[in-house]
Amino acid sequence: MMALLPEKFVSLNPFVESWALPNELQRSQQRWSASEEDYRRFYDAMMPMLDETLDYLDQYEIGNIPEEAIVLYHLSLAFAEAAPHVELYECANQVPNSFEAVRFEAAHGEQIDS
Amino acid sequence: MAAASDELKRAMPYTTRYPELGTGPIDVAPLIDPDLFELEKEKIFRKTWLLVGREEEIPEPGDYKVRQIDVASTSVIVVRDKTGKINAFHNLCTHRGNKIIQEEGAQTTGRTRSHLMTCRFHAWSFSTDGKLHGVPKEENFNKLDKNCLGLKTIHCEQWQGFIFINLDKTPEKNLVEYLEGMADQFAGYPYHESTVSYRYSTVLNCNWKVAMYAFSEGYHVPTIHAATLPSLAKIEQIDYQCFGPHSTSALYVPPVAGMQPTPATGNLGGRLVTSKQHGPHLDLLPEKINPERRTDFQFEFPVFFPNLVLHLGAGNGYPGMTYFHHQFWPLSVGQTLWEGTNYFRPPKTPSERVAIAHTNALHRNAWLEDTSTMEDTYAALCSGALDEMVLMDEEIMIRNTHRAWHEYMGV
Ligand code: FES
Ligand SMILES: [Fe+2]
Repeated sequence: MMALLPEKFVSLNPFVESWALPNELQRSQQRWSASEEDYRRFYDAMMPMLDETLDYLDQYEIGNIPEEAIVLYHLSLAFAEAAPHVELYECANQVPNSFEAVRFEAAHGEQIDS
Repeated sequence: MAAASDELKRAMPYTTRYPELGTGPIDVAPLIDPDLFELEKEKIFRKTWLLVGREEEIPEPGDYKVRQIDVASTSVIVVRDKTGKINAFHNLCTHRGNKIIQEEGAQTTGRTRSHLMTCRFHAWSFSTDGKLHGVPKEENFNKLDKNCLGLKTIHCEQWQGFIFINLDKTPEKNLVEYLEGMADQFAGYPYHESTVSYRYSTVLNCNWKVAMYAFSEGYHVPTIHAATLPSLAKIEQIDYQCFGPHSTSALYVPPVAGMQPTPATGNLGGRLVTSKQHGPHLDLLPEKINPERRTDFQFEFPVFFPNLVLHLGAGNGYPGMTYFHHQFWPLSVGQTLWEGTNYFRPPKTPSERVAIAHTNALHRNAWLEDTSTMEDTYAALCSGALDEMVLMDEEIMIRNTHRAWHEYMGV
């Protein structure tokens, strides 16, 4: 297997398989099925490293992120979309008292973030 | 109508400014009656100006967008011709009526080849200005007058980069006249700079006005958005104005001492707030929006008759110089295609893209909360147990839309 994350970020390796997904649709599907425990562990691992992560990514150009950083980029996007579940919804995988999320179609949802 | 008492003016300071609105309850029948729905198709959706897109969606000559409009049983091609002009046509071939461009969903964009749109049935081709260009075996028709067989035109006008159509053969008013005071009030916002868009849509099992009314007031914000937008527990909704069938108001969020953003919101939102590109720009709001330039301004949200609710942000509150809008397209009396679209200035760095993903997720989640009441409301109203609904002062935009609805319908 190739190196997934840059050296400094190997502590995030356990989250790559589930969360480092290239488009919003896939990341949403992950959010809808993640457990409380999944959310908690992902958030606790990533939040303290958020500044370092984003600073690292910012040495690259949007739309042109090289292979060695793309996994970290996708992980960061998943974090941005998952964080409200931890901070606002007590780690529930749905927005409380909401419309069914699967019924929302996102026209842009399958665009790859690169 | 008798002048409102002082007590009433205190209770409903905005509503009483517009005596034509009244202060009593509004009738429920327009939200559930199938016969009225049939009438709406003719009296409203074939008479008014309807938003079908942004100029940025078809930036180059030859670019097109197809918009399905079920309520008028049509599909509309909006296309930029060689001269850069935007034209609208029924998506229908003048030979035997086949669709010219096949849609992928309610909104489809694409680019014509050599400015030609070709019907796949017998290969008649039309140019982007609507003229019939080519007909295979033309000599075998009985003196075909190609000049009379161009695409069926639809009135199309633009305002501030928004593309509107009007399905009436001879619209009573041009677009700017139709928009009344809104045209001026909302001109000058840098809409064209927010070119990155995220759109969500769903089919709601409710009448289009049930959905639209739910998006036309801020009264629900502290309850419905308690989870996603806790910072909006105390809002101030003011600056109401009515312009004919349209209306507007603004939402401010007076700061609460000691209220701290959550860590991810503080970090990601903070990145947008401190960037020159995405940060607060009260200076870019049109003059009459947030006239006092209050820094706790959240957004202005105008309601355009019949089916558009726009929101203009200035980078305060929701981070990012964003604007967004909702549209409500009737499919039947009890079914509505809702589309919510967020527009951001383009991210320049990966971290800005991540921060925008966060803001966008909060918007989307808030919309999941908004849409959570609509089907229940409609199902309950269909019981017929409620003939009228009472409205408070902050629901004035619903009152104005409802009044305009009656006026257009003539009932
Ligand atoms: S129907 Fe279009 S070419 Fe015949
Ligand atoms: Fe809302």
